[in-house]
Parts: sequence; structure tokens; C-alpha cells
Amino acid sequence: MAVIEKGGSSSGSGGKSALAFINDERFRSVFYQMFVGVVVLLAGYYLYTNTAANLDARGMEVGFGFLGSTAGFSVAWSLIPYEAGDTYFHVFLVGIGNTLLVAAIAIVASTFLGFVMGVLRLSKNWLIRNLAAWYVEILRNTPLLLQILFWFLTVFALLPSPRQSLEPVTGFVLNNRGFYFPSPQPGDLFFLTAIAFVIGIVGAVILSKWATKRLFDTGQKTPVFPISLGLIFGFPLVVFLVTGAPLAFDLPTLQGFNFVGGASVPPSFCALLLALTIYHSCFMAEAVRAGILSVSHGQTEAAYSLGLKPSWTLRLVIIPQAMRAVVPPMISNWMNVVKNSSLAIAIGFPDLVAVFMQTSLNQSGHAIEIVAMVMLFYMTVSLSISLALNQYNKSVQLKER
Amino acid sequence: MADTTQSDVVFRPKPSLPPPPNTVGVVGWLRKNLFGGPVDTILTIVGAWLIFTLFYSLYEYGIANAVWTANSYRECLDTVLPNGEKVGHNGACWAGVGVWMNQYIYGRYPDEEQWRIQLALALLVLWLLPFWLPKVEAKIQTGLSCVLTFPFLAAHLFLGGEASIFLMITSSIALALFIAVWLNVITSYAMNKSIGKVLVGVSGMADKDDRLHKYVLMAGFALLLVMSLIYVSSWDLPEVTTQAWGGLFLTLTISGIAIASALPSGVVLALGRRSKMPVIRVFCTVWIEMFRSVPLITILFMAVTMMPLFLPVALNPDKLVMVIVAVCIFASAYMAEIVRGGLQAISKGQYEAAQALGLNYWKMMTFIVMPQALKLMIPNIVGNFIGLLKDTTLVSIIGLYDILLMVKASGQDPNWLGLHSEPLLFAAGVFFIICFAMSKYSQHLERTIAGGYGRR
Repeated sequence: MAVIEKGGSSSGSGGKSALAFINDERFRSVFYQMFVGVVVLLAGYYLYTNTAANLDARGMEVGFGFLGSTAGFSVAWSLIPYEAGDTYFHVFLVGIGNTLLVAAIAIVASTFLGFVMGVLRLSKNWLIRNLAAWYVEILRNTPLLLQILFWFLTVFALLPSPRQSLEPVTGFVLNNRGFYFPSPQPGDLFFLTAIAFVIGIVGAVILSKWATKRLFDTGQKTPVFPISLGLIFGFPLVVFLVTGAPLAFDLPTLQGFNFVGGASVPPSFCALLLALTIYHSCFMAEAVRAGILSVSHGQTEAAYSLGLKPSWTLRLVIIPQAMRAVVPPMISNWMNVVKNSSLAIAIGFPDLVAVFMQTSLNQSGHAIEIVAMVMLFYMTVSLSISLALNQYNKSVQLKER
Repeated sequence: MADTTQSDVVFRPKPSLPPPPNTVGVVGWLRKNLFGGPVDTILTIVGAWLIFTLFYSLYEYGIANAVWTANSYRECLDTVLPNGEKVGHNGACWAGVGVWMNQYIYGRYPDEEQWRIQLALALLVLWLLPFWLPKVEAKIQTGLSCVLTFPFLAAHLFLGGEASIFLMITSSIALALFIAVWLNVITSYAMNKSIGKVLVGVSGMADKDDRLHKYVLMAGFALLLVMSLIYVSSWDLPEVTTQAWGGLFLTLTISGIAIASALPSGVVLALGRRSKMPVIRVFCTVWIEMFRSVPLITILFMAVTMMPLFLPVALNPDKLVMVIVAVCIFASAYMAEIVRGGLQAISKGQYEAAQALGLNYWKMMTFIVMPQALKLMIPNIVGNFIGLLKDTTLVSIIGLYDILLMVKASGQDPNWLGLHSEPLLFAAGVFFIICFAMSKYSQHLERTIAGGYGRR
């Protein structure tokens, strides 16, 4: 914006000098753009020739053929099954799986914790308010990497060995080899329960739409919440019991020097998850606090004067308006969780950057392809999240006339 | 007519009753803020218990059971407490932190050369001091001169050895500017005049045409420059390669350069992204979005693995230089989005008014739009600086011995094997103090700079 149009002036005056076009904004614009374009192209060409020469000198080839060859290393822990001898492409997928798993859990947990902390920061209770404020200030003013190392090196490294494991609840075991928990073993008929769960959710959505319509048409309310609860949880539970409870749990048990059975995550996973959750919950808390504060008190007063009770005021007036201010920073926070999960490399958790950008890169030497693939993955995630954010922003934008 | 104007009929309000005793004073405050109801009371008790246990265990760990002098971690763990038990992991081993303190701050920089770092820090503080001296004018020039030239002077000091011609010239320019800034401070306070006015007065050109004055200033600065060039070229500092740089010093160096470069490059990128010229706009948008959507660690990896491929072998760039370039690129992309947000908040009327006055694009941006936008952006800019400082710790992953890798290294020292939590707590404290101070100062700035306008 704000490029001043000077083009007209030169044509108006009769005596055009030969250099008048220099002052023509259109000419300047084209000139600047060509200049930038040429500089960028030249820089690109310079880098390209250097790279070609360097690759030649080292006898390296560029191409994605290496993805099909076997990666001769093992991965410490993976969500997607992996065996030594699988291909580099499989390693890529394993890395993505691990990254997305830890990021997804951290996003859910930090959002929840952040909401609690944000609300506590606005508490009427002086002690609680200040406690929450100091929680946020201390944790967001120290680097995440430092926190990850702290959890990993001092907390999880000092846990007892498998023989003296902590087992607060039967089946949930914590020791210096990791966290073990029962793994569910669904039986043959378990899919019916899953289907019932999906039906319950769909039913609840339809019910709420119908109830809103009914409220607007007749003014009568429907107890949506208890019915939905019954649909989503009660109905699958009935199906589950009728089909004979087809779900068993495989408990981890101590055999020799280690636990077998069940499922487990390594200490690095726990440390990363804990650090990500706590660190990002501070930023979520700030977003929530700022969002709630952004709704002016007049809104509350207006709602009360209309006769809405406090719980309705909160649900129908305050929260919808606060969400408009809370959601954008929160989603950019989620993006940061995904990006910051790459710090796993510092404590040896095999996320995408660790297994692919470090181990695979060192073994295969295909730096350009691997860096491009990893960056492409993160860009895809970020861009899709920001697309979703834009959609949301459009839908909740103030409709000004 | 009846005489009814008698004084006893006039309405006289009774004096108001005092507020109920349990709503004022300490009791009132307690009832309002801590014991407002059953839930509040429970929360208060839980909170108080939490604070007590936290502080008590911190006190026990950090002070009561702490070991302050020892020669190895084992010795720390085996120290016997007054109650006859060994300290073990129940007490901090600050002795190890004390032994390693020098490395945490200076890395492997030789002891006898560390005065150079301290000198550079002192120069920086002195250079920026005029900002807080109300009588001194030309604050913007002071800040610009510092940001643009101090890094070269610092690099010359830190590196030492046979300085290149470029570094020699830039660092003497920096020194000359520094001296000029302080001469200005001295004249401002001693004679209530800026150095320029004093120089002009001394030269006897005061009554001549104003346009001639700048030649006097240039001559004065040239003299200063020649003197400092002679002085700088007489320096004989032993060389300290960047491999020896480390600790907090390295962290602050990297983040300082990134912070100094972020704002100008961010402004340029943001203006480019809002430009009407499609080539420039697309280039800036791609640059910003590309580097914002990937984690810093991938950019750092790219710098150390791909930069050597991209550049000619003969160039052989230093690892630290590549890392600094990578951090600067990362910082520029983030700053660009903040600046863009600030620019968007300036109403269109401001642009139109500037154009109506006949200002061209750059004048409009420099004098009308940017000053207003920058004011709005202060909290976000400082937040970004804090983020940068914290993100600088990532260079430890690719093997630069910043404070965090030094902390890790101390836990792998045979003498102090396993000493992790104390150094990490120390580093956390250092980061917290710096970042917290920055955020508090930004809040203060926000209040003072916003002046009468305040928040909208």
C-alpha cells in the first residue's frame, strides 16, 4: 500500500526531458522488482553452482533413491512398528509418528493445564492468583531446552531401577527404564463398542442441533447435556457389556531385570512431554487470561440486567467473546508445541529431527534431500494449522456493518 | 402566616455508620482475598501448604543441606550432616557450581584474556547509558551508532590476533563514535550544549552559514577517527579462536547479534510483504513463512550441514558465523510478522494524511507510520527478544559450548560426574533474571512511551 502515484505528472507537462522516466513510479516499481529478481536469481545460481561443484568433489549424488535403501540402525522407541533393516522412508514415517504423538499429547495436556492456570490467575483469592502468576512467570522465563534437560537429567535419571520400581497403581510402573502401563487388548467383538461410540457422538450432535431449533421455535428447553452424556458414554458401555466385555489388559510384569508385557514409553518421552506441557501451559494461561480480560465488564452487567443467571452469562456471553481473543494465540501456541517437540534430539528421544535429520543424514549423507523433507513436513503441519485458524477467524469475526 | 422556619425541622442526616468491622483493615482484606467462602478457604489452605512445602524443601535442599566446599561430587554426596546422615541427593552441591562458574560464564576463554569480554560489556553499558540521561540529546543517533558499529568493535576485542583491514576500520569507527557519544554527554552536562554546537563555536564558524557547520563536524570526526585508527592498530591482543568462546558470554553474543539485526531486517521484510510490487511481496512472504513454519533446530542443522555445500570450499566459514547467520534469519522472519501486525494497526487515515502532505514513501514510513507502529509493538518486540534469548540455547544441540552445554559438560567432568541439577538450577536462575527483567522493563517502557495516548 501507500505507493504514491507520480506517474501522471510527467505526462502533463509538455517539455519531457529524456530522464523524466526515472521519476515515473511505474518505471521505478518495475526496475526495483527486476533488480530484486535478478539478485535473487544470481544468488540462487551462485549457490547452485557451488553446491554442484561441492557435491561433485565429494562424489555425492542428489536424488531420492536413497529412501528405498535400508537404514542400518535401530530406533530406540517408535509408535509405528520399526525393525532394523527397514528403509529410510520408513524411518521418516517413524519420526513423523513419534513427533506427532508427543506433540498431540502435549497440546491436549498443556491446553487443559493452561486453562486451569489462566482461570486461577484471575481468581479472587490473592494467594492462588499470585501462586499462578509466579508459576507462569518462572516457567516461561526459562528456556524450554533447559527445562527438558532438567526433567530428563535430574528427575527421570534419579528414578529407581526396575527392581525397585515405583508402582502407585497396579499396572502403572515408573522406573529409570521408562513408564510402563497396561496395554488394552481388544477382543473380536470390541469393534461394536467403537461403532456404538461413534453413533453416540453423531447422535449427540444431532440432538443438540434439534434442541436449539426446538428452543428457538417453541421456547422449550431440552436437557441436552445429560442425554448426550448417556449417548456418548452410556450407550457404548451397554454395548460393551452386552457383547461380553471383549477387552483385556496386558499388565507389565517384572521378569528378571526388566518389565515385559504392557506398553511402555522411555524416560526421554516422559521428560519431553512433561517439559512441553508445563512450558506451553504458561503461554496458554496467558492467552486465556488476556482473552477473558478482553471481554469488558459491561457485558457481564448487561447480561445480568437481562436476567441471565451467572452460569448462563459465563456460557452464553463471556466465553464466546473471550474465545475470539483466546483461540488465535492458542493455535499459534499449538504450532509452537509441534515445532518445539524437535528439541527431543537433546535427550535422545527419536523424533523426526533426531532419527531423520541427524542419524539418517549422518549415515546416508543426503543432506539436501533430508533437510528439505523435514522442513516440508513442518511447513505442511504449520500451514494446515494456520489455514484452520484463518477459517476460524473468519467464522467468529465481528460482523461489522 | 405561620412562622415555620424553625431550625429543628431542617433535615439533618445522621452521620454514616462506620463500615462493618469485618470489611475493613486486615480482617477485611483477609476475608475478601483469602477466606471469601468455603471454597476460597480450602484453596487458601491448599495454596499455603503448597508454598510452605515448596519453600521448605527448597530451603532444605539449597541452603540447610547444601555443600559449599568440596573437591568432587563424591565428596559432596558423602558429606555428613549434623544429624549424622550423608547429604546424598538431599542437598545441593554448590561447590561444583563454584568450581565451574568461570566456564559457565566465559566458556573456555583463557583466564588472562577475560578482561576483554568485561571491557566490551562495560563499553556497551557506557554506550547505552546516555539513553537514561535526560539532558543528552540525539538518543536515536546514539542507539543507531551502538547497534551498527559495536558488534565489530566487540568482535575485534574478542577475536584478537591479526585483525583484518575490515575489522580494523569498522572497530576504529566504532571507537570514534563511542568517544563522540561520550564527548557529547560531557558537553551536554558541563556546558548544556551538544558536542556539535561546541565544536562549531570553537571553530569560529558559529555566525557562518548553517550548511558549513557539517564540514566542521566531519573534520572533527575525521580527526577522532584517525586517532582511534592509530590506537586500534597498536593493539596487540593474542588470538582467541571462536572454538574457545562459550558459556553465558557466547549465549549473549549470539542472541545480542540476533536481537540487534532482527528489528531492521524485520522492518524491511514486513514492508516488503506489504509492498505493491508482486516480486518483492512474494519473495518476502515466502521467506517469512518458510522460516517461521520450521523449528529453529532444523534451520541450525541446515546451517551446519548444508551451508558448507552451498558455499565455495575456499570460503570455509566458521561454525559460529553460520550459526549466527541462521539465528538472524530465524529472528528476522519472526520480527517481520510482529512489525506487520504493528503496521496493520495504524489506521489508513495516517497514511493518507502523510501522502496529502506530500511525503514520499520513505518519509511517510520513517516519520509518520513507523514511530506510531513501533510504540504499539513494544510488548511484542520485547517478548520476541526474550524468546530469542531462550532459543539461543538450541545452539548447544549442534555442539556450540553455550551456557547450557557448559552446564551439561560439568556433569560429565570425571570429578563432578552426575552433577546436573545444581548447574541447571543456576542456569535457570540466570535466564530467569535476564528475561524477567526484560519483560518488566518492557512493561515500564509501555507505560512511559505510550504517554498520554495510552491503550486504545
